[in-house]
Amino acid sequence: MNAHFKPHDGEAALIAALDGASGWRAELRDALSAQGLPAKRAEAWKWTDLRRALSGLSVAQGALAFESSRPADRESPVEHAPQNLLPRLAAALGGDALVFRLSDGEHLTLAARAEAGAGHRIVLVEVPDGAAARVTEHYGAGEGGFTNIAILYRLGAGARLDRVVESGGPGVIVVSGGAEIGARSRFHQTEVTFGGVLCRLETHLLHPGEGAEAVLNAVYLLHSGRHADLTSVTEHTGPGGSLSQLCKGAAAGGAQGVFRGKIVVRRAAQKTDARMNHRALLLDSKAEIDAKPELEIYADDVQCAHGNALGQLDRDALFYLRQRSLPEAQARALLIESFLAEPLQPVTDEAVRDRLSARLRQGLEGLS
Amino acid sequence: MLEINNLHVRVTDDEGAEKPILNGVDLSVPAGQVHAIMGPNGSGKSTLAHVLTGREGYEITGGSARFLGGDLAAMAPEERAAKGLFLSFQYPVEIPGVPILTFLKEALNAQRKARGEADMAAPEFMKLVREKAAQLNISTEMLRRPVNVGFSGGEKKRLEILQALVLSPRFLILDETDSGLDIDALKVVADGVNALRGPERGMLVITHYQRLLDHIAPDRVHVMAAGRIAASGGPELARELEAEGYDRFTKDAA
Repeated sequence: MNAHFKPHDGEAALIAALDGASGWRAELRDALSAQGLPAKRAEAWKWTDLRRALSGLSVAQGALAFESSRPADRESPVEHAPQNLLPRLAAALGGDALVFRLSDGEHLTLAARAEAGAGHRIVLVEVPDGAAARVTEHYGAGEGGFTNIAILYRLGAGARLDRVVESGGPGVIVVSGGAEIGARSRFHQTEVTFGGVLCRLETHLLHPGEGAEAVLNAVYLLHSGRHADLTSVTEHTGPGGSLSQLCKGAAAGGAQGVFRGKIVVRRAAQKTDARMNHRALLLDSKAEIDAKPELEIYADDVQCAHGNALGQLDRDALFYLRQRSLPEAQARALLIESFLAEPLQPVTDEAVRDRLSARLRQGLEGLS
Repeated sequence: MLEINNLHVRVTDDEGAEKPILNGVDLSVPAGQVHAIMGPNGSGKSTLAHVLTGREGYEITGGSARFLGGDLAAMAPEERAAKGLFLSFQYPVEIPGVPILTFLKEALNAQRKARGEADMAAPEFMKLVREKAAQLNISTEMLRRPVNVGFSGGEKKRLEILQALVLSPRFLILDETDSGLDIDALKVVADGVNALRGPERGMLVITHYQRLLDHIAPDRVHVMAAGRIAASGGPELARELEAEGYDRFTKDAA
């Protein structure tokens, strides 16, 4: 505890909203009072200063516009609170958890946006054994808005889920995603983000091995003034699992991209095949990209690799396109688009892939 | 059509040292003619091609290059291209993720836009590309692949000529188009180039060897050495060079 800590206005508003709380909600309130929101000094948030981004927050709760393509199957009080602070905050101030139990072949869409002030929601999505389903999520935040979402996926044995997450807006967006997947299941996640004044997209994947496959792909495209942080932790707990992770990004001058990826392979998780790659383009000398890929391996018979590469647009390619009459801005956009397209390639549904590509193309307009 | 007068160019290397690389090039290519530039490695042939098309990294320190009456130095690379200047690259660049068809369409429509014309309709465009690709033995399958990615040297050069056939430029610069080609591919490429010959079009064929000129008969041959035109003559000059080598010019220049 830090006796000298003084919550700022935003934290004070959140603490006040937890007035009279008991149990884990009271613990959360006390933690916020003692240490505040995650800030630079915390290793996991050193490139993403949430505390600073929320200093002006005045409305702590209830500002969220939340839509789903169908009503939840049930609303359930949160008894076992998430461990981390942000999803815990979402659970404490976002009302009962919305529980969706998907049927085979179902496509669920969710959308959340806090226009001004904070809005929280906690969601549980269950995919039964052997079912195949899709979920598309859209997250935004207005200027001065703070969208805080916790969403947990539970996939049964042999279940398949395609998750697409699109996000971006002028405000603060935090999405704490979790996935617990069953044996022989397939969890395919594709994130496309245009960032926010601060945007943190977390994925915590608990991977049982046992023939289960996970794909965690992401694309970020950031105009000046935008920030996006793609943080993931995958924990392989059993043998014979696979993970393929590709994150590609591009940041303009005055934008900041962050990639933090951690793969943990427990001793029991022999024959794990895990690959993680982050590649990004700095579009200007004033762009910033921070990356920290980590492998933590306790098993001896595994195939794990990670790569991280930052670069600039290929000047030879740019000249080649301009020699073929493409104006410089169009040539740059085409090269950026083709660079960023790769993580979208594994998306099997052509209509979805086309829509995501079109969104990217749209995002490239007016990029310096 | 292309008028180069006393052109001086220098480059700045990574250590910041300035080095003159073209030392007073004079060259005039009228419409309807094909001129060849031959010369040893390092004589400035490719530099000339890059300076004319506007690649960055070169500084014009004297003289001028004019195309269709316009000062090339005042134009961006895409403006030069839109005006009809086309470079077939010695080393065509790989562009992963961009299918050839998309690339051709964007390039063609960018040119049409610069000329104030509407985009070409999709069926018309496909018909045009298929017809030109067939001339060069380029399959429809190949057209769906990303630009130059995984292509052999010969495939890359054929693709360059396909782009020229589709864009139909006023002036072609072929930079070492024969390098990396076997004799069959050379024939296909040369036929493609010859199909573009016409009274309204000029060409500059840059090559180290005579063999491309057996297929593309030039009207004039120039020898470049030490950054300037050291000799000019008819097609017979190319054959002399093939027999005697460049020694006489490199010695004169030194």
